[in-house]
Amino acid sequence: MAADSDPESEVFEITDFTTASEWERFVSKVEEVLNDWKLIGNSAGSLTPEKGEFTSGTWGEKSQDIQFADFKFHIIHYFLKQEREQDKGKDQLEEDAFPLAMQDLLCMNNDFPPRAHCLVRWYGIREFVVLSPGANCEAIISESKCNLLLSSISISLANSGSQVPIFVQIQQKWRRVYAGECQGPGVRTDFEMVHLRKVPSQYNHLSGLLDIFKSKIGCTLSPLPPINIAIRFTYILQDWQQYAWPQQPPDFDTLLGGEVGGVEFGKLPFGACEEPISELHLATTWSHLTEGIVVDNDVYSDLDPLQAPHWSVRVRSAENPQCLLGDLLTEFFKLCCRKESTEEILGRGLAEEEAKENSDISSALSKLTEPTAAVPISKLSVSNIVHSARKHIRRRRRIDESPLNTDILNSILLYLFPDAAVEKSSENSKNRTTHFQTSSPSVQNLFLQLKSAPSDSLTYRLALCACLVNYNHGGLRAVAHLWQEFVLELRYRWENNYFVYGGEDSDVRCLKRSHVAVQMLNCCIERKRARDEARKVLEGSRERERQVSGGRPPPESATPMATVSGAAREVSSGKSWDSWSDSEEEFFECLSDQGEIEAEKDGSKSKAEGRLHPYNNMTLLNSTEPLYVPVTQEPAPMTEDLLEEQSEVLAKLGTSAEGTHLRARMQSACLLSDMESFKSANPGCALEDFVRWYSPRDYVEEEDEVIDETGSRVVKGELSARMKIPGNMWVEAWETARVTPARRQRRLFDDTKEAEKVLHYLAVQKPADLTRNLLPCILHAAILKLKEEGESRFQLMAMETAITRARSLKAKFASCEGGRGEDAEELEKFVSSLQEEPEVVVIGAGQGPAGSIIHRLFVNAQRTALLAPLDEDLGRDRKPAGGSSKVPDFPSPAGREILLRTCVPRPAPYSKVLPQRLFCVLMREEFRLAGAFSLDTAFF
Amino acid sequence: MEDDVLTTLKLLIIGESGVGKSSLLLRFTEDTFDPEQSATIGVDFKVKTLAIDGNKAKLAIWDTAGQERFRTLTPSYYRGAQGVILVYDVTKRETFTKLENWLNELETYTTRNDIVKMLVGNKIDRDDHEVDRNEGLKFARKHSMLFIEASAKTKDGVQCAFEELVEKILQTPGLWESENQGQRVRLGDQEPGGGRACGGYCSIP
Repeated sequence: MAADSDPESEVFEITDFTTASEWERFVSKVEEVLNDWKLIGNSAGSLTPEKGEFTSGTWGEKSQDIQFADFKFHIIHYFLKQEREQDKGKDQLEEDAFPLAMQDLLCMNNDFPPRAHCLVRWYGIREFVVLSPGANCEAIISESKCNLLLSSISISLANSGSQVPIFVQIQQKWRRVYAGECQGPGVRTDFEMVHLRKVPSQYNHLSGLLDIFKSKIGCTLSPLPPINIAIRFTYILQDWQQYAWPQQPPDFDTLLGGEVGGVEFGKLPFGACEEPISELHLATTWSHLTEGIVVDNDVYSDLDPLQAPHWSVRVRSAENPQCLLGDLLTEFFKLCCRKESTEEILGRGLAEEEAKENSDISSALSKLTEPTAAVPISKLSVSNIVHSARKHIRRRRRIDESPLNTDILNSILLYLFPDAAVEKSSENSKNRTTHFQTSSPSVQNLFLQLKSAPSDSLTYRLALCACLVNYNHGGLRAVAHLWQEFVLELRYRWENNYFVYGGEDSDVRCLKRSHVAVQMLNCCIERKRARDEARKVLEGSRERERQVSGGRPPPESATPMATVSGAAREVSSGKSWDSWSDSEEEFFECLSDQGEIEAEKDGSKSKAEGRLHPYNNMTLLNSTEPLYVPVTQEPAPMTEDLLEEQSEVLAKLGTSAEGTHLRARMQSACLLSDMESFKSANPGCALEDFVRWYSPRDYVEEEDEVIDETGSRVVKGELSARMKIPGNMWVEAWETARVTPARRQRRLFDDTKEAEKVLHYLAVQKPADLTRNLLPCILHAAILKLKEEGESRFQLMAMETAITRARSLKAKFASCEGGRGEDAEELEKFVSSLQEEPEVVVIGAGQGPAGSIIHRLFVNAQRTALLAPLDEDLGRDRKPAGGSSKVPDFPSPAGREILLRTCVPRPAPYSKVLPQRLFCVLMREEFRLAGAFSLDTAFF
Repeated sequence: MEDDVLTTLKLLIIGESGVGKSSLLLRFTEDTFDPEQSATIGVDFKVKTLAIDGNKAKLAIWDTAGQERFRTLTPSYYRGAQGVILVYDVTKRETFTKLENWLNELETYTTRNDIVKMLVGNKIDRDDHEVDRNEGLKFARKHSMLFIEASAKTKDGVQCAFEELVEKILQTPGLWESENQGQRVRLGDQEPGGGRACGGYCSIP
């Protein structure tokens, strides 16, 4: 090749578009897009769409942005995805076949598709391209702009040979007005549209529309080829009358009324506040009519909906109906984001503190002046005390400034602390448990995995109350108030030794923090109660002793101790953890009983104290005294948090010998405590005795038994090697152990301190913290509620709405009294498909079981509507044929759709016979004619 | 060094007092034997990294006191363990017969049911055997455990016992991976944010 010839030929290849106008560029861009999307060439080839395929099939969509100068357009290709294309080759032979769109104009398989693009509904086409102004661009309103676009399209189509119809959206978007064009070999279809606000009276019926159609196709043939007519009338039912949805909207005002017990607070509300089904659309369809079969003009109509051969129904659900459960949860959830502390909300910073202190002091004083010991616990009515406590609280607060009114607060507190109302709380709780155990065991197991609290626990109930209070009784302030009252109540219970109902079960799976806190508090209360009771009994017995023996206690002082263990029966005796972390400086809370100290003075050597029971008939090694198991301190309750903390500390000590030693020392507090108790119970005992009880294998008995003179077996033996290591921790501990019975030792588990910790922790919780802690409980409750109302999945809100809808529908269509079983089944199917499908065919139309119910619904709605006279100037009244009364069964149709189709030669009688179509939409406030008129571009 | 550790495993050693739990652990972790090993108080803790088939596993081993009086305390530490070594003394029948109790306790307090259990008959260096090897085998078989006889004193079987246990744990699907990724829900304030409480099951817009 010559070096200089190449550049020259290239120069000739250059096509210069630099001078092309914006319009030319736009046209070429449209062509480019059509090319990219492979929309060029013969589109014919796909099979005729099957009946209903427009709805059942999937629609594809491709889009792109193109510009006309600086005006942005959005070009979208819509198409029905069809798989069958095996006949393509054959069809391609027919070069002059009509474009697909033209064939579709006449296809009757998909008239009135329930769910489709409006152009699909109007023109019956399965593939098209829409050119619409971009998002922020103004609408194409002027006629010249519109024409410019249409001609651009026309040129693009002609240039590219595309047979896909292209539409341009003109006028404002909401009007959905399109103009378009489709080109085929020697044929063209123009898509035109008329859109008016009112239906011109001369076109308000079939005959008028037929006139338009005929004049438009301008066919001079006689007789005119038959015009195919399809009609659909749509009736809307909005007034449900006595078929109102079944759910009684929960009336929260009743809660405010005095009568309602606190139990109401245990229930979550459920369901929609409004009718979840907003409308029912009945479409009555006449398909395949021809002119002359039906008469519909300005004076008479054959189109009685009851007689329509085809009925279908769709329901429109209210969009996001206000559903109680969902609302409740959302509101509660919002609380999590609040930053205010309880006091900030209630606005009683310092004053509150002061008042609290005062109350503490006064209660402490009153405790001193009237010792509880004087009144047997069992005789005290818990409710009295609780109520007096609340009164006490209320005195400090003017009623009007409390977010929660007294009645509500009372019923909430009664619900939370049912034992305050009924003394036989055990009976109460029994009922409650059975109530909560209604769901199947497997489901329960599933819910156990929720990190929540058991569904009858206090925390759970508190969560419900907090949620309801937030929703119904004043929001954040009310929650803060409730919380304050709750903590006060807990404190009160702690101070007065009342168990907290619903916090007692110590299931390790219940790990909610606040729940754990309540459990811990209960534990503390239990301990304190046990201690106080022990002291009381001790005092009582001492009193008796003094009276009987004049001050010298009888040796069997084990009696009161037995009571101690009785009072503390719930927890098996055993070793306990020392709260070694920070309590080294803290001393045993002495019961400061003069008598006891005296007793210790004179009896430390000889008098045994704190015996539980003799141990296996053993005797002490150095005497004939039986070996007694001492009363020991109870193991400290451990929350998961605490345990984790402690094991972390233990692990941090490392793996060295020192670490091991330190760990042992840290954990030796309980060993020491047990040794002290043992020494107290077994005066004169030795380490060997202790080991025989505590770690029997560390006392090695000699093989040969020695029987002493009295015939009893004498144990001879020695400590195991490891116990004999000088200075080992056991020996060390034994040496430091004093003779002290468990009840006078420093408490391993300081219930006072722990309770105060718990109460403090609870008191400083902000409402948001509280909410976060209660959230799992409330979700747990919500799920249970859903389970109770229907099935359980986790889209809570959607579920609630769906269940409510289903229920509403069911109620409406279950109203056929005395229906046959067959009908009922059919109805059930009908209702369920109403929820799933966009449009459901009514089997038997107006005469079927569902049809007659729908008919009745309309009749009822009509009667009530016409009782109150409405001035309806809706054009003429459409009276159904055979309607005897003045009240028509159906209202005037909300929408009328009339579809006219035919094939005529156009524009001249000798032109090709081409499909023509006019789709008319007549509504109260809209009149639309969507016409597709084809013409022969070769012979005219 | 820490980086190539595949996972951290929590192991437990339980059994009656005086069967040699601490001695076994000491032999394994430090390869020593102390005839004057003192009785454990509460729980003790050791760490050792072990390589199994090229995978390094860090073992956090909790040694527990066998005395019954300590049993109200030690089971708290059973939580989250992936493996447990049950030890009995082949020279003391009682320590063998009490194994059932230990298994019950284990079942009560462990948080997972696929925990790998190994039965170790200790002190085989001694002559006065009261429990035959076959009895141990039978027991282990009945309760789907690994079994080995060992002696902390003479080293016999100790290393092997731990290795075998760890290998088994690593072979058990789902036993250690999730732990490693820290997917277990913890309560507390370590992770702020209330959304976590929802667990992704529910949607509240």
